[in-house]
Amino acid sequence: MSDRLLVSTRKGLFVLERRGGAWAIARHAFPGDNVTLALHDPRDGAITAALDLGHFGAKLQRSTDGGASWTELAVPAYAEGDEVATGDGKPNAPASLKLVWSLEAGSPDQPGRLWAGTLPGGLFRSDDLGASWQLVRGLWDVPDRMAWFGGGYDTPGIHSICVDPRDPRVLRVAISTGGVWRSDDDGASWRQCAHGMRAAYMPPELAHEPNHQDVHRMVQCRASPQRLWVQHHNGVFRSDDGGTRWTEIEDVPPSVFGFAVAVHPRDPDRAWFVPAVKDERRIPVDARLVVTRTRDGGASFEQLDAGLPATPSYDLVYRHGLAIDASGDGLAFGSTTGGLWTSPDGGDHWQPLDARLPPVFAVAYA
Amino acid sequence: MPRMLLASQLARWLPPDPLRPEGAVQLDVGGDTVGAALESLFAIHPNLRGYVLDEHGGVRHHVAIFVDGRSIRRKDRLDDPLGADAEVHVLQALSGG
Repeated sequence: MSDRLLVSTRKGLFVLERRGGAWAIARHAFPGDNVTLALHDPRDGAITAALDLGHFGAKLQRSTDGGASWTELAVPAYAEGDEVATGDGKPNAPASLKLVWSLEAGSPDQPGRLWAGTLPGGLFRSDDLGASWQLVRGLWDVPDRMAWFGGGYDTPGIHSICVDPRDPRVLRVAISTGGVWRSDDDGASWRQCAHGMRAAYMPPELAHEPNHQDVHRMVQCRASPQRLWVQHHNGVFRSDDGGTRWTEIEDVPPSVFGFAVAVHPRDPDRAWFVPAVKDERRIPVDARLVVTRTRDGGASFEQLDAGLPATPSYDLVYRHGLAIDASGDGLAFGSTTGGLWTSPDGGDHWQPLDARLPPVFAVAYA
Repeated sequence: MPRMLLASQLARWLPPDPLRPEGAVQLDVGGDTVGAALESLFAIHPNLRGYVLDEHGGVRHHVAIFVDGRSIRRKDRLDDPLGADAEVHVLQALSGG
């Protein structure tokens, strides 16, 4: 089980370490600065942090010593002529980097490879660990991009990047709001894959249009990569064929709405969600914070709350705010009101961090 | 030569230098326009370009530049003239929280 967590918050990056069973803050990097998310690179142990310096823009920093010191990286940048369009009638605008909203590492056979998903919707690739980035035009230039919407932000954004464990040239990305796109050729060409998803917020004749699906978060089972799970704006969806067709899981108590999802690294039928009242309210159902877990591919769900607050709780967990470690037993989630809970046993029991954190945007094991 | 003063919130992002005191940073910059003075700054501190300017070369929305106490006229043009003794302040705007 992992003994280190990277917690990205409105006021910095907290590195948590577990000593003798209890988690504690070991380091606070970038105190006071907005950290969107942090990636632990399994190839070399480095941490890459995405910062959102509201005044000075999105930045990337990398540490090879566990967060003690940092080196600034280049940031993805759009070129003159790159435009953001949305399908809802807002006028086109020049594209400029608003946020780095996802970061993933390539395979060990691609030593310098990093992927960055951004707002306003471009995917970028680096082959030198972030010293330079290139816009993946194969995705940027798809005609369907002109019909994407914002979802959570004013412009479309890529929040989930799944690098296929079997072949790193196979990529799947999910977009709020633009469905799921897949490439089999290292990003040269892409196709829409959100078939079977349903958008309850669209006019009925457009509800099944893949391009209008607001996927909140998408995760892929490492040992069974044909299985992907999606937490969507109005439901939970499961794919059994590598993300080409999706099945709606309708009966998800206490609510089908949420932002985050985690899948067990070896058991594709086991997934966790943190539900909230849909869909503009976004508070725990009945003010009761729970984590839901399925162990049978979505046929049934358990509501897990042992160790979660017994008192009214209004914690909301954002799409990157729930993580599972490589063992499948360790789970952690953080909320927008600064709560942070960990579980050593797949969610059966939870323990709060003995600290009140700033609003949490992302949680990742290292 | 015009002088440029970088507010501490910006100066803190300069690469660490034990010889540089904490807080605001002052430096002489060449150039007879704001744009030229900024290029002079970026020649010394290249990483600041992305902090002051957006990727289209305009001053960022929440960065403010004052010349001798007056705001620059246009964030996208940077053609405000600088006298030989001009003082250029580069600040984090109070907008944007």
